[in-house]
Amino acid sequence: MSAVAGSETAVRRRILRYGLLLAVAGQILWSFRPAPGRALTAQEAAGRALYEANCSTCHGLQAEGSGSGPSLHGVGPAAVDFMLSTGRMPLADPAAQPIRQPPRFDPQEIAAIVAYLTAIAPGGPGIPEVDPQAGALPRGAQVFLNNCSGCHGAGAIGDSVGGGQIAPSLYASSARQIGEAVRFGPGVMPKFATADLSEQDLNSIARYVLWIRDHGDRGGLQLGRVGAVAEGFVAVVIGLGLLLVVIRLTGSKT
Amino acid sequence: MRRATLVAAVSFGAATLAALGLFVVYIAGGQPQVEGALLFVALAGLGAGLMVWATRLMPGIGQVTQARRHAPPPPEEKEAAAEAMAGGVEEMSRRRLLFRLLLGAAGALGLAAIFPVRSLGRAPGASLFRTEWRAGQRLVDVDGNLVTRDTLDVDSFTTVFPEDAVGSGDSQAVLIRVASGSLQLPADRLVGAPDGYVAYSKICTHAGCALALYLAEVHQLRCPCHQSTFDVLNGARPVYGPAARPLPQLPIQIDPDGTMRALSDFTAPVGPSFWDLPP
Amino acid sequence: MIVRRWVEGVDERLDGSSFISRNLRKVFPDHWAFMLGEIALYSFLLLVLTGTFLSFFYLASHQPVTYAGPYQPLQGQTVSAAYDSVMRLSFEVRAGLVMRQMHHWAALVFMAAIIAHLIRVFFTGAFRKPREISWLIGIGLFLSGIGAGFTGYSLPDDALSGAGLRIAYSIILSIPFVGTWLAYLFFGGEFPGPDILNRLLVLHIFIIPLAIFTLLGAHLAVVWHQTHTQFRAPGRTEDTVTGTPVWPKFALKSIGLAFTTFGVIALLGGLFQVNPIWLYGPFVPYSTASPSQPDYYIGWLEGLLRLWPNWEFHVFGHTIGELLLPGLVVPGLVFTILALWPFLEARLSGDHEWHHFAQHPREAPVRSAFGAAGVAFFVVLVLAGGNDVVAKFLGIEVDSFNTILRLALVLGPILSGLVTYWICRDLRDRPLHPLAAPPSVTFRRNAAGGFDEIETEPPVAGHATEEPDRR
Repeated sequence: MSAVAGSETAVRRRILRYGLLLAVAGQILWSFRPAPGRALTAQEAAGRALYEANCSTCHGLQAEGSGSGPSLHGVGPAAVDFMLSTGRMPLADPAAQPIRQPPRFDPQEIAAIVAYLTAIAPGGPGIPEVDPQAGALPRGAQVFLNNCSGCHGAGAIGDSVGGGQIAPSLYASSARQIGEAVRFGPGVMPKFATADLSEQDLNSIARYVLWIRDHGDRGGLQLGRVGAVAEGFVAVVIGLGLLLVVIRLTGSKT
Repeated sequence: MRRATLVAAVSFGAATLAALGLFVVYIAGGQPQVEGALLFVALAGLGAGLMVWATRLMPGIGQVTQARRHAPPPPEEKEAAAEAMAGGVEEMSRRRLLFRLLLGAAGALGLAAIFPVRSLGRAPGASLFRTEWRAGQRLVDVDGNLVTRDTLDVDSFTTVFPEDAVGSGDSQAVLIRVASGSLQLPADRLVGAPDGYVAYSKICTHAGCALALYLAEVHQLRCPCHQSTFDVLNGARPVYGPAARPLPQLPIQIDPDGTMRALSDFTAPVGPSFWDLPP
Repeated sequence: MIVRRWVEGVDERLDGSSFISRNLRKVFPDHWAFMLGEIALYSFLLLVLTGTFLSFFYLASHQPVTYAGPYQPLQGQTVSAAYDSVMRLSFEVRAGLVMRQMHHWAALVFMAAIIAHLIRVFFTGAFRKPREISWLIGIGLFLSGIGAGFTGYSLPDDALSGAGLRIAYSIILSIPFVGTWLAYLFFGGEFPGPDILNRLLVLHIFIIPLAIFTLLGAHLAVVWHQTHTQFRAPGRTEDTVTGTPVWPKFALKSIGLAFTTFGVIALLGGLFQVNPIWLYGPFVPYSTASPSQPDYYIGWLEGLLRLWPNWEFHVFGHTIGELLLPGLVVPGLVFTILALWPFLEARLSGDHEWHHFAQHPREAPVRSAFGAAGVAFFVVLVLAGGNDVVAKFLGIEVDSFNTILRLALVLGPILSGLVTYWICRDLRDRPLHPLAAPPSVTFRRNAAGGFDEIETEPPVAGHATEEPDRR
C-alpha cells in the first residue's frame, strides 16, 4: 500500500465521519422545524427523529400512511403506545401480522414518539390511566367474562378467532396495555368507549387479569387453561397411559 | 423372591404412612395437591403391594387349564327352549277375546302415561316465535343502564336487553356501531339501523350459543362454539361455518335524547332452526 | 377355622355340587390387554364413591343466591344455588376439591378405558359368536357412560355447562315434528328451562348409574358364564381355557389393579386442575368463552357439529335445521353400525361358527381395516372438536385447519383402512409375525454324552393356515 493511497483513504474516512456527524446534526436540527402552528418541544423533536428513522417508511413522513402502512391520523396515543410498548411495531416486514415482541424502544423513546405523533396527527383515544388497585375483583371478573372471554378465553389465555387471527394471551400485558387495547381495539379487536366500560370498570378488568395470572389454580397444574382438550389429553396419556404400563407389567403376554 | 417381598413390604409400608399422613393434612386444614399425592401413595401402594404379591410371590399357583363347559347346545335343546316360550304365547292367544282385551288395556294404560309426561314442561305455543322485545322498549345494557348514542364508538359493540327483561335468554341482542353508511341492508331494514347502529340477535342460529366474539376490523360476529361467522354489514348473513340462517335483526330508532328503543320484535324467530320455522 | 365353616355352610345351601369351589377355582386368562375392562370397572366404582360424597353437598337449584365464599373474584355476585354449592365443595368443604377433581378425572379415565376395551375386543374378534350379547351390553355401557358424562358436566351450572346444555337443547329442537315439544318437556320450557338441573341430577345420580349397574352386572355375568376368549398358544384348544385361578391369585391381582386405578386417579385429581368452574364463572345465557369444549368423549360429536356443512332443508313449509344430521342422524348411524358389527361381520364372512379363540388383528385384515378406519374417523373428529385450541397450539390458522380436517375426515379413514389392510394381509401371509422368535433350538445332553437337538414351538402362533380369513 502506497503512502499516497493510505492518506487518501484516511481523508475519505474523515470526510465520511464528519459528513455523517453533519447529517445526524442536521437531522436533529431539521427535527426542530416547526410543526403546523408551533415549534416542537425537545421531546417531540426526539420523537420525530425516531419516527422518521423507524416508522416513516411505511406510515409516511406526515403519518399520512402509504401502500405498506396505514395513516396514523386519529389512531390516538393509546394505539401508538400499545403498539410500541408491546413490540408489535416497528414491523420488519410490513406484510407480517404484528405479534408481541420485546419492545424496540425504551419508555422515554416511546413517550417521545407518542408526543410527536400527537402533535402532527391528533385525535383518537388517549393513554388511559389504569390503576388496578382502585378496581374491584368481582366487578373485574364479571366484566371480563361478559366482554373479553369470548375471544381471550375464561382464563385469559387467548384462542384462535378465525380469519387468520389469534386473540393473544393476556399474561404478558401490563395494566396500561390492557387499558389501551380496550380503548382503541388493536387489529380485529373491537374498542370499548368510556360510556360502555367506565374508567372504574377498566381498573377492575386490569386487576382481575393481573390477579388470575397467579391465582385461581387451587386444583393444581393449570394445563394451559385451555379446558377439556388438555384435560382429555392428560386423562388418556397420563391416566390411561400409566394404567396401561401397570397391566402390561402384571399381565401375561400370551 | 426376596426382592419381591421387599417391594411388597415397602409398598404396604408407604401406603400406611401416606394414609396416616392424610390425617395430618386433613387436621391441618387440607391442601388439594398434598391430599392427592398422599392418596396416590396410599392407594397405589396398596395396589402395587397386592399385585407384586399375586404375580411374584405365589409361585405355587401357575397357569391352570380347565374345560370351558360352554359349547353350542344340541338342536333339540334349542328347540325345547323355543317351544317352552312359544307354547306359553300360544296358550294365551287361544283365548282371542281376552288376549285382545289385554292388549287394549295395556295400550290404553300406555296412552294414559302421556299425561304425567305432559306435565314435564310448558306447551311451546308461539314462544319460539317471539321474544320480550316490543315496539318502544328501550335498550339497556347487562347492568340495566340505558344505552345511548354515546355508549359506542365506531367498531364497538355491546350486549343489549329490553329494559323490562335484563339478562333474558331469548331477547339478548348485540348492538354494533359501524361507520355510518357502510351497512348494506335493504331499505326497509336500513330504517331500523340508524347512523351505523345495528342490532342483531346474539343467539347463534346454528346451535344457540351466545355470539360473544366480534371481529371489528372485518365486521364479523363469530360463535365461539362452532365458529359460525356472520357478516354484520350485510344483514348478518352467514359467511363461514355451520350456520345456515342470518341473524335476525332488531330494528331500532334513536330518540332525540340519544337513547334507543326497539321499533318491533326481531325480524325473524331467534335461535336455531326448528320444525315449525317457515323457510 | 371360621372361614372354612362359613364357606361350607353357604356352599351347602346354594349348591350341592360345590358351587363355591367351582367358582373360586375358575380360571381367567390374564393377557394384559384383557384388563382394560377392569380399569373401566374400577373407575366406575371410584365414580360411585366420590360421586356419593359430592351428592351430599350438591344442590340442583336455579335459585339465585349471592356468593359469599372465599374465592374473591366472585364475592357478591349473583349465582345459582347449584353453582354456589359446587363452589362451596371446591373451596370450603375440606377434601371437597380433591373429591370433585377425582370424580371428573375418573369419568375421563372411565371413558378412555371403555373405548380402549372396545377397540381391543373389536380388533381381536372377541365379539364373535357366542359373545354378541356381551358386545351389545358393552355398547349400552358406552352410551350410558356418555350420558353420565354429559349430565355430570352440566350440573355445576357454570359457563361451560350452560353452553353444552344450550347445544343439547338446540339439537333436540331440530328433530322433525316433535323436536319443540321434546325440548320443552325435557327442559320444562324455553331454554334455559326452569327445571333442568333437577332433572339432570336425577338422571346423573339415579337413572343412568342404575342402568350402568344393571348392564355391568349383566356384562360380568355373561363373561363369567361364557368364559373369556384367549389367544392361540401351544396346549390351548377351543374346548379349554387356560389362566389363573380366581382365588387367590387372580383376585389379589385384580384388587391390586383396583387400588392402582384409584391411586392414579387420585394423582390426577390432586395435581391436575380439571374444570375450574371459578374461572369459567356462573352460566349466563348471553356469554360464551373461547375456547369452549365438551369432554373428549363428547368431543367427537362436537367435532361433527363444527365440520358439518351448513345444510338446511325445507319440506312442505317446515324446516330441518343444520343440527339434525350431525347431531343425531350420523351419531345414531355410527352407534347402530357399531352395535350391529358382530352380525354384519358374520353375514359378510358367512362365519356362523362358535369361536373361543381371540384373533390377532392380522388374522382378519378386512375387520382390522374397518377398525382402523373407525379409529381414524374418531380421532379426526376429536381434533375437530378442539379445532381452535389445536390450531393455536400448532400455530396454524383455524379456518385452514378446518379444511384440512374435513379432508382428513374423508381421506383419513380410507387411507388408514387401506394401509391397515395391506399390513395385516402381509403379516398374515408370512409364516410368522416378524417380531416373534423363530422356532428355537435347544440342546440337551444325552445319556451317550452327545447332544440332542430339540425344536420348540414359537411362542406366538400366527399361522394363516390355522384359521384362514373367510372374506
